Amino acid sequence: MSDWYAMNVVLIQTTLTTLLLALSIQVPIRFGVFSFAGVGAFGIGGYTAAIAMVHLGWTTWPSVALGAVLAGVVVFALGLVVQRLTGLYMGMATIAFTLIVSVVAVNGGELTGGPGGLFGALGEIDTGHILAVVVVVVAVLVWTEAKGMGRRVDTVREDPELATAMGIDVARYRLASFAISGVIGGLAGAITTLLRSTITPAEVNFHMVVLALTAIIVGGARSWLGAFIGAVIFVWLPTVISFVQEWEKVVYGFLVAVAAIYLPNGVLGLIKDLVHRLRTRQERARMAVLQEKG
Amino acid sequence: MQDLLNVVTLGSIYLLFALGMALVWGTIGILNFAHGATFMFSAFVGHLVTRETELPFLPVVAVSVLVGAAIAALTQLLAFQPILKRSKNQHAAEMRILIGGIGVAAIPLALAQHQTRSSPFGFNSSYDAEVMDVFGLRLTTTSAVIIVSGLAIGIGLTVWVRRSRQGLALRAIGVDAETAAGMGVNRTALAFGTMATAGALAGLAGALLTFQLGAIAPETGDQLLIKAFAIIVLGGLGSMAGTVIGAYVLAGAETLVLNLNYGTWVDAVSFGLIFLILLARPQGLLGRKEVRRT
Repeated sequence: MSDWYAMNVVLIQTTLTTLLLALSIQVPIRFGVFSFAGVGAFGIGGYTAAIAMVHLGWTTWPSVALGAVLAGVVVFALGLVVQRLTGLYMGMATIAFTLIVSVVAVNGGELTGGPGGLFGALGEIDTGHILAVVVVVVAVLVWTEAKGMGRRVDTVREDPELATAMGIDVARYRLASFAISGVIGGLAGAITTLLRSTITPAEVNFHMVVLALTAIIVGGARSWLGAFIGAVIFVWLPTVISFVQEWEKVVYGFLVAVAAIYLPNGVLGLIKDLVHRLRTRQERARMAVLQEKG
Repeated sequence: MQDLLNVVTLGSIYLLFALGMALVWGTIGILNFAHGATFMFSAFVGHLVTRETELPFLPVVAVSVLVGAAIAALTQLLAFQPILKRSKNQHAAEMRILIGGIGVAAIPLALAQHQTRSSPFGFNSSYDAEVMDVFGLRLTTTSAVIIVSGLAIGIGLTVWVRRSRQGLALRAIGVDAETAAGMGVNRTALAFGTMATAGALAGLAGALLTFQLGAIAPETGDQLLIKAFAIIVLGGLGSMAGTVIGAYVLAGAETLVLNLNYGTWVDAVSFGLIFLILLARPQGLLGRKEVRRT
């Protein structure tokens, strides 16, 4: 076990940070907001943490916290501005926001290191730390998925008019999803940056939006578990199949397209459907036995 | 004055690219995220063909146009049509089409990147651009072809959508797909034709831009995609004339920023425009249809 861990420590860490990034995109989608601002938050969090360490001489965790908070605040402010947009318009406005973050980073001069990015921001982070952060984030998300809160969130997504009629403040839920997405994205960016010690503007691009989408669409968009399944598939598939390694992006594109067409609820949705069907069949069999007896 | 001519050339390229997207999105309601990849891959196939044999101008353009139409038609047939068939409502369909399009777009992009190792590619053509002298301004033959075809196709499509029976049917689908189908509009066939036309336009733009610049990179399509979105939002969704104006406005604004020596901010122009227009005038300059709001 410990040998296996030592060999795959980088992959395990990447899985966890990918999960955070995927969650930052998944949260707004679960709230019915088609926002990609989480990737912009990744950039803001990463750059803020790196700047705090390189220019201000801060230690690891205050830098990460600053990155997460600043990303949360900026994305929340973005939410205030774009909240009346819906569907595709929201999606494109938030993609534009993400790309603006990258353009600003290119033009940031000494502060952001320009097109070359920032170097030397190596934080003291190990797997245990990341795992702790992920556990806290997932605990908060489980709270938004379970029981009454989960049902309210589902209603806000599926039928905003009904939600309003039931006395749920839809606008507030949606704004909250921006703030949560910003903080999670900022955490993902700050942790990833301080793990690798560098961040460049080229990382905060459209490709990263695709990566995050791949994870949640293939895994499942309705629950953190789906994002986890997606992150695991996404990070580990190239190591298992070497064919995938060479044609990585082709395979991912194909997976996203197929999932969008045939599995709108991802692998998790498929599993849940199967479990549901199995239970129904068992229940029917039980009823049939009872009827025969009766 | 020379700048103005450059603006018109650049705007015409944008126009050729954005027209296809605007046509598809404004009528059959599909925001095709694979449009940029279609554009790039048509030029890429032209590159592959001319690597085998040297070809004159027109055959290269013809190859790209045909490939573009074929890719778009296949995308419609294999991805968007199944999604439309399987989606419960318009909102869900929009999202799945966007995600499916992102997935589809990743495939040709990754193939081209794999082949070219992400370096720019061009055509091996017997065609040589000649420099003409028009009223004391330098104008290459390529630019002339781009301007003439951009304006001609732009105006032609505008008139066609407004006047012809098919144009009427398309606009009817854009207003209310179900009622249009009830009035005998064959939505599936029209959607197929519209997508193929848009793909052909993307192929034309790809070939012409490659001739103009000498070479394009596989990633060029992604950048154009966001610009085209800005153009469509600027002009107003569903308005062809708006798209024509939007293309030249964006080209003008970008050239202005470039001439003011803010070259690295050029990309931010289109992202900023998306933002401003969505917030200040969501229906665009010439659009009448309101952005759907909840």
